[in-house]
Amino acid sequence: MSEEYNDNKTVHAQSSETISGGTSGVAPDIDYVRPAEIPEQDLYHGHSFITKWVFCQDAKVIGVQYFLLATFTGIIGLILSWLMRLQLGFPGAAGFMTAEHYYQFVTMHGMIMVVYFLTALFLGGFGNYLIPLMVGARDMVFPYLNMVSFWMFFIAVLVLLSSFFVPGGPTGAGWTLYPPQTILEGTPGSGAGILLMCLSLILFVAGFTMGGLNYLITVLQARTRGMTLMRMPLTVWGIFTATVLAMLAFPALLVGALMMSLDKVLGTSFFMPTILKAGEVLEYGGGSPILFQHLFWFFGHPEVYIVALPAFGIISDLISVHSRKNIFGYRMMVWAIVGIGGLSFFVWAHHMYVSGMNPWFGFFFATTTLIIAVPTAMKVYNWILTLWRGNIRMNTVMLWCLGFIVTFVNGGITGIFLGNVSVDVPLSDTYFVIAHFHMVMGIAPLMVIMGAVYHWFPLVAGKFLDEKLGKWHFWLTFLGAYSIYFPMHYLGFIGVPRRYFEMYDSPYMTSAVGMNEFISLAAFLVGAAQFILIYNIIRALKVGKPAGHNPWQACSLEWLTPKVPPEHGNWGDRLPVVHRWAYDYSVPGAKEDFITQTTAPSEVVDTGVEKT
Amino acid sequence: MHPGIIFFLVILGSILFHIFTPWYWTDVASNWGGMDDTITLTFWIGGGVFIAVCLFMVYCVFKFSYKEGRRAEYKPEDKKLEKILTWATTIGVVALLAPGLVIWNNYVNVPKNAIEVDVMAWQWGWQYRLPGKDGKLGTTQVVNINDNNPFGINTDDPYGKDDVMIQSDVLNLENNKPVKILLRSVDVLHNWYVPQFRAKMDAVPGIVTYYWFEPNKVGEYEVLCVEYCGVGHYAMRGGVIVQSDQDYKNWLEQQETYSDLIAKQQNKEINKKKLAKKIN
Amino acid sequence: MSDPKIEGYVFKPGFSGMAKDTGSDQTMFKGVHWGKAMMWIFLLSDTFIFSCFLISYMKGRGSTLVDWPYPSEVFGLHVFGVDVPLLLIAIMTFVLITSSGTMALAVKYGYEKNRKMCGWLILATAIGGLTFVGMQAFEWSKLIHEGVRPWENPFGAPQFGSFFFMITGFHGTHVSIGVIFLFIYAYKTFAGHYDERKRGWFTTMKGDYVEIEILGLYWHFVDLVWVFIFAFFYLW
Repeated sequence: MSEEYNDNKTVHAQSSETISGGTSGVAPDIDYVRPAEIPEQDLYHGHSFITKWVFCQDAKVIGVQYFLLATFTGIIGLILSWLMRLQLGFPGAAGFMTAEHYYQFVTMHGMIMVVYFLTALFLGGFGNYLIPLMVGARDMVFPYLNMVSFWMFFIAVLVLLSSFFVPGGPTGAGWTLYPPQTILEGTPGSGAGILLMCLSLILFVAGFTMGGLNYLITVLQARTRGMTLMRMPLTVWGIFTATVLAMLAFPALLVGALMMSLDKVLGTSFFMPTILKAGEVLEYGGGSPILFQHLFWFFGHPEVYIVALPAFGIISDLISVHSRKNIFGYRMMVWAIVGIGGLSFFVWAHHMYVSGMNPWFGFFFATTTLIIAVPTAMKVYNWILTLWRGNIRMNTVMLWCLGFIVTFVNGGITGIFLGNVSVDVPLSDTYFVIAHFHMVMGIAPLMVIMGAVYHWFPLVAGKFLDEKLGKWHFWLTFLGAYSIYFPMHYLGFIGVPRRYFEMYDSPYMTSAVGMNEFISLAAFLVGAAQFILIYNIIRALKVGKPAGHNPWQACSLEWLTPKVPPEHGNWGDRLPVVHRWAYDYSVPGAKEDFITQTTAPSEVVDTGVEKT
Repeated sequence: MHPGIIFFLVILGSILFHIFTPWYWTDVASNWGGMDDTITLTFWIGGGVFIAVCLFMVYCVFKFSYKEGRRAEYKPEDKKLEKILTWATTIGVVALLAPGLVIWNNYVNVPKNAIEVDVMAWQWGWQYRLPGKDGKLGTTQVVNINDNNPFGINTDDPYGKDDVMIQSDVLNLENNKPVKILLRSVDVLHNWYVPQFRAKMDAVPGIVTYYWFEPNKVGEYEVLCVEYCGVGHYAMRGGVIVQSDQDYKNWLEQQETYSDLIAKQQNKEINKKKLAKKIN
Repeated sequence: MSDPKIEGYVFKPGFSGMAKDTGSDQTMFKGVHWGKAMMWIFLLSDTFIFSCFLISYMKGRGSTLVDWPYPSEVFGLHVFGVDVPLLLIAIMTFVLITSSGTMALAVKYGYEKNRKMCGWLILATAIGGLTFVGMQAFEWSKLIHEGVRPWENPFGAPQFGSFFFMITGFHGTHVSIGVIFLFIYAYKTFAGHYDERKRGWFTTMKGDYVEIEILGLYWHFVDLVWVFIFAFFYLW
């Protein structure tokens, strides 16, 4: 049994080359790093197919599992969006499409993309793969819990998808699930559909909590020697802060989902006031529909940042590596991430300006919302100032980064429209909102995901993705997505309401027919372009160019593993020792244009290193 | 082709689209022109930032494209520049927020002379109630609603007796008179929205919500439900006719009040009884 | 993961020193076991769940159409011909708080490697928890017998039943899970798994007395939450 564990490696890890110095009389050793505080991690090594690839405790495998399952649900979400656009652009073209189906597709598309695709992909996928590697840990701190986390997510997805096959179909209440309509006749899937949705969300939250505890404790308590908090790559900062948000925001969703299930199953009236339906007063009374909206958005707004903050972190690293320049204003970037995370708990009701809550809240929430614009704008400035006087490699990864900046700034600016309470009044519940949130938390994070895939694929698989295919993928996606959502804002100005199954009988909407058709065609194209990536990955796995060690000449730890792709335990016999931050690119006087985090100061004495 | 050119064309295209777009907001027909002005202001400031940031990015991409042997600048931080940018952004944000809050302050403070209109929503339709000669609406309850009392008015409330009941989805309003829309719903969330008036608010079952506006253009407008309310949401429409002083008065006089309805019902009852007696 | 080592780490003075210690390499909480840190963060998350429940309860209580029932009336117990308000609940609270005490002692004896004492005290805690759950079941059945349901309530607002059953049920589930773990840990203590550092059944982690402290944190938290539920439901 003992060969399954690495008990015997304990001695090596603590006897690194640089334990000395600090004593009187001798000149202090500039390479000194404090000895290890924590003992070597006890790892379980899988020894069969099942324990290596299915019920695996290796965070890297779990990360890939998360990535694949999230991508699978994402493709379902994509197909649903095609069907929706088909109906909107060419009403009646799909014969089976009834209003019921349309609303079910809208709902499932929204929920899948926000929770089961983006959240799972960023935190479960990138978080699991990158956190241990980037902070120099052997694995997540609780590998077993981590494995359970993935399988809970798996069950949550199964439950979610099973709702397509129950009588009445999946819920069609809109992804916000506002009661009372969610659980009343008149909304599709108000029976089994909504219950499965609530159950699936509860399972997701439970599973996510297990994963989230892992990410947090790994970052807080299991970094390698020399890896101080202010030396961590921004990717880790982003995922870490997003996880903190998730741990505090998901409880509200859990409570809301539970109470809604009880309203449905037991006939309680948490969210149900007195209701007259088809001439009869229902057995409900005294509940508050707005209470659910508060619970939902107390989760829902931080959720936006749960998606955005990892994207901010990852994009910072990608831009820095590929412009061969340190990220500009690292400390500002860290505090901006933390600040945005903190503020995101005080802005939730800007989704509810016209919800009928006490209108005096509007003043408070408009102010907090616009305050968030300041740290966010600082991040944007720092990204473009990182490009400034850089040495920019115009490869596929950089293209995704540039695409991110354009779409994110665009979506961020329209956010200022919607956050400013009285401007929100005419625009809320119109296509302007759809365009805004797709641009800022759909397309922009997607650009980051794609950039990250092209960037880290050589690490995960040891092979490069094809650049030419990558560029086609990028331009089709970027130009296509931009031409979907940029014109869509103007539909909102006309006043076209969201969640309309068809809309051509109003006088001022007829002019939008042409635009709707165009948007639909662009949506089909963008969706289809994503399959280029799948082809590219399969192709690269077979015939891709081998990447070798550190192909992008990056500084951060994940590229410095003894083996590529890294094996279980990541670091071989000896944990790395970190001497500097993750962004020492183009240091004057240095031999190469990057100094890795593990390079000891004595090796780069004559260079102009400013920050460690 | 250098990728920077395409990014530049995207920015240029966005600006041109904005200038030449045939799709823009409908002419405002209420007092909320200030909302349009704030949107325009946000366009200038926000659009300016968007263009500046993106053009700077395009410039960097052209100027600092990879060259073998060139070193990027090494400058981890620039406190002064960061401070300037922070303050400039803060000032921009304040400039946007301030007018927004001023207008919101008008939005939540309803003028004293506003006429109250009870807008009642259900899946999927609207009907309206105006105060009678006493200028006050009677209180209502969902459980009171039946064929004889379509608005659920509390029968013991004296203010309710002379309320004008409009059992149609088209509401007439008087031009240049502020209106306070009181929204209620008997089943799920709805939202009574006329794009030309700009203003909106959800109707929430269990409570009464409100907003106000002052129509200032005579004409006919379409009412849309803009809060998702089930499969019939997209078809839940209504109408508003804004009329001049005299037309409105003529229209109002033809409408039925609650006491008219009660009288009619009683007549029916009496007639029925008479009929029954005759047959017997 | 076994005992953390922080020998040689000298904490720096002042606020800037505290900031430096916090951001220093390897660990933020010096010498804190991974599992213990995890439990604290989990409890923080759980606090948000209970806060959401209790805030919803306050909102629900404020917006009902019918008056809220008098708790002293509803929760009264008829003993020996006298009506004693809140008697059962007082006993329940007493039992639960006492079990917190035995849990704390179990942790102490655990660190002293006093296997027997530690085991008995965990068992005592488990039995305290079980008693609590039993009395809660009695209270539920009494209320159900009197006609209180999640959807209706003869004493007043139906939301009283809804919130009462949901929140005490959710808390009771926490207690029950705690009791199950307490029994398992009692077994593991008596069997000497922590002394021998035997690997766990599922997690394959080596046994360590710190696990008892981690479970203790959970147990104290559940007690603390009960104090809030007690205050909001029975005293308000």
